[in-house]
Amino acid sequence: MSKRSAVVEPGQNPLRDPADRRLPRVPDPCALVVFGVTGDLSRKKLLPAVYDLANRGLLPPGFVLLGFARREWGDDDFAELAKKSAQEYARTPWREEVWQRIGESARFVPGSFDDDDAFDNLASTLRSLQDSHGIAGNAAFYLSIPPAAFPVVLKQLERTSIADNEACGGWRRVVVEKPFGHDLASSRELNGLVDHVFTPQDVFRIDHYLGKETVQNLLALRFANTLFEPVWNGHYVDSVQITMAEDGGIGGRAAFYDAAGAGRDVLQNHLLQLLALTAMEEPVAFSAEALRTEKLKALRAISLPDDLERFAVRGQYTEGWLAGQRVKGYRQEDSVPDRSTTETYVAIRLGVETRRWAGVPFYLRTGKRLPRRVTEIAVCFKKAPHLPFAKTDTEELGQNQLVIRVQPDEGVTLRFGSKVPGTYMEVRDVLMDFLYGEAFTESSPEAYERLLLDVLLGDKTLFPNNEGVEAGWMVVDPLEEYWAGRKPHSYRAGEWGPAAADQMLAIEGRVWRRP
Amino acid sequence: MTTLWDTTGSEVVKALAAERRAAGAVTSGLALTLVAVVEEQNVEDAEEAAAVAAAMHPCRLLLVVRRQLRAPSRLDAEVQVGGRLGPGEAVVMRMFGRLSLHAESVVLPLLAPDAPVITWWHSHPPYRISHDPLGVLAGRRVSDCSRADDPVAALANRADDYAPGDTDLAWTRITGWRGLLAAAFDSASGRVRRGRVAAEPGSASAELLAGWLSQRLGISVPVSESKGPGITDVRVDLEGGSYIWLERGDGHNATVHRDGMPDRSLPLSRRELGELLAEELHRLDADEIYGEALAKATGKRALNRREPDRTHKWLDPEDAKTAAKEPALFASEPANKPRRKAASRARQQS
Repeated sequence: MSKRSAVVEPGQNPLRDPADRRLPRVPDPCALVVFGVTGDLSRKKLLPAVYDLANRGLLPPGFVLLGFARREWGDDDFAELAKKSAQEYARTPWREEVWQRIGESARFVPGSFDDDDAFDNLASTLRSLQDSHGIAGNAAFYLSIPPAAFPVVLKQLERTSIADNEACGGWRRVVVEKPFGHDLASSRELNGLVDHVFTPQDVFRIDHYLGKETVQNLLALRFANTLFEPVWNGHYVDSVQITMAEDGGIGGRAAFYDAAGAGRDVLQNHLLQLLALTAMEEPVAFSAEALRTEKLKALRAISLPDDLERFAVRGQYTEGWLAGQRVKGYRQEDSVPDRSTTETYVAIRLGVETRRWAGVPFYLRTGKRLPRRVTEIAVCFKKAPHLPFAKTDTEELGQNQLVIRVQPDEGVTLRFGSKVPGTYMEVRDVLMDFLYGEAFTESSPEAYERLLLDVLLGDKTLFPNNEGVEAGWMVVDPLEEYWAGRKPHSYRAGEWGPAAADQMLAIEGRVWRRP
Repeated sequence: MTTLWDTTGSEVVKALAAERRAAGAVTSGLALTLVAVVEEQNVEDAEEAAAVAAAMHPCRLLLVVRRQLRAPSRLDAEVQVGGRLGPGEAVVMRMFGRLSLHAESVVLPLLAPDAPVITWWHSHPPYRISHDPLGVLAGRRVSDCSRADDPVAALANRADDYAPGDTDLAWTRITGWRGLLAAAFDSASGRVRRGRVAAEPGSASAELLAGWLSQRLGISVPVSESKGPGITDVRVDLEGGSYIWLERGDGHNATVHRDGMPDRSLPLSRRELGELLAEELHRLDADEIYGEALAKATGKRALNRREPDRTHKWLDPEDAKTAAKEPALFASEPANKPRRKAASRARQQS
């Protein structure tokens, strides 16, 4: 035996080297336990993401997929469902041998959430997997369940102490989907419960927007370049517009949606997170802790408009035509009350009270049944303080804009003025386009894939923490309070929101960008 | 598609610009240029691989075929934007006669402005890369020792000629093996005692895998022969009787044996050429880990401390003296020498 030979220890692997970027980050052997495995999200996103990860060689040798739902199923029935979902929705090419490996070690535990026996069964299944599959007590619990079921499931996990790191001899993590509560108080209660059952650092709140490549690219754009950061402030920026539009309706989520509305469903999480990433200061490092510190500062600096009537506009869609099809109004949707005052559209003007952003309005809007599905952040710059051209020469010149398209067609567009070819001077806006998928098509894993891998690796960089979630509620709660008992404006399905939203910008001499 | 017979470099540049305008891709986000140097009989294979790679990393593909050094100089070109050669722009150029010794004169104006260049020799890289201007102008150079008559000797030659920024597909082929080994080591502990690698005879990939393990683990890992296909067996023993043992008999599925754990079967397929090439396009900086593994596998030292940039050295293969000294100076069709079977056999070792 050579004296120079390497010593292998936990956390010290001589075969790993940060310079060796061909080797993927692979999680420890572990189990992924999915609650509500028969649900839409699980079938369309989660199970396919598991297959895609396996296909890219990113799952550990010992990996067990464990489903929990109220079905009289055996392991094989579950494996069959998982295979079908993966085959239908996976993004990477189908390879039978890859699936075979996941399918072989798939397990199913039947039962309802209030069934003690079922959870005891789950606990003993996990214990037996430790030996048979070498997962060393590591397990991630994905709660793909209605918010109302959270407390029950968490209490069951606590009772059986399968959420306890020490008792299991490995790590136990939990993934929670939005909504994280319905107001500040309920969110605090829920956070308290989750953090109590698991340890706070093992709780992963998933906001799939933050897993998107473009959102991460926003950080690269801002902090890896010299070109943008110097103008990224109130001296040069006139206003910021953040849009998240959906052409779809509420689908089968009527009960949930009617209680929540666009404010709680989208504004509180996705839109405010995008605002935080746009407005935050440079983090001291690209680490979970540093990023969250800066995001939290930005979220806490948000100010609401004084005149909520004008600057916090709600809308509800009525019957109309969208993409060549006739669609129902919100109140005509199945299981929506006839007199519902829930909003399907929100537009709001927020301020960020920091030296960098003082006086710059952040216009946020989101809605259902808008003309197209698009999410983007548009930074609109001030007009040049002086134009040496004749007034007629620059009539067609608008503001410079930098647009970060989050979806679809992920990329960046820069709008600036250019001379129109010809014998006289005329300046008009042109677009310069960077299409993310065109420069790098390979490395755009689906958001769920990325986030799921991060959970198994224990990397929290892309997950909001409970302080961030609570800061979001602090913005939304006063709005919800004001809106309660008031009727939303109506807009026709297939148009860009109610007239009041256009009015909101017109008062200050601005217009919405057409995304 | 535009096809040009007996043309000039400037005509090719014009044709490419016209094709781009016609396709409406005037502001496409080109990230790099891939120069592929291919022999006529391998053009189909290389085109297929390059199309797969280009689909993952949109690039401008310049495929250079050098033919018949003694024929009169002539350039034939085929220009495509979005077609059988992937979503990007592609130019296939056949160069005859003395022109093939000056291929850079056609290629230079076709490189995407200020974007990185990768040169890939499908089968026969030059004996010394500094003799091929197409290798000198690239920031990354990719060879494939597994296709040589004697892959292990070819690997030694690549080590002699190494400069940071060179890689070899024999190395790319073992990424899967390395990933599985590293993952297994994540949950191991103890001092490393010994290791071994078994593969079919003459496997450059096995040499590199053994080199990598030797380098990382501070032991000497021997390579033994097996029936193949490719690498079949890797085992590392740790102090106290624990071991990590990977076995792959069929070229598709590996079995992981660990002490005190049940055996585990994992897919470990030999990848297509296109996928390997795509992995190479993924990183545009020098791969130091490869440099270290290559040094260890061939007994060289301090390969990563060499100068990354080469200067072109003019050598005329028609000159009798150099021809004797420098075999396979260019990847052009050998004039009189009958091809050996091994050279044209598309071997997929890993």
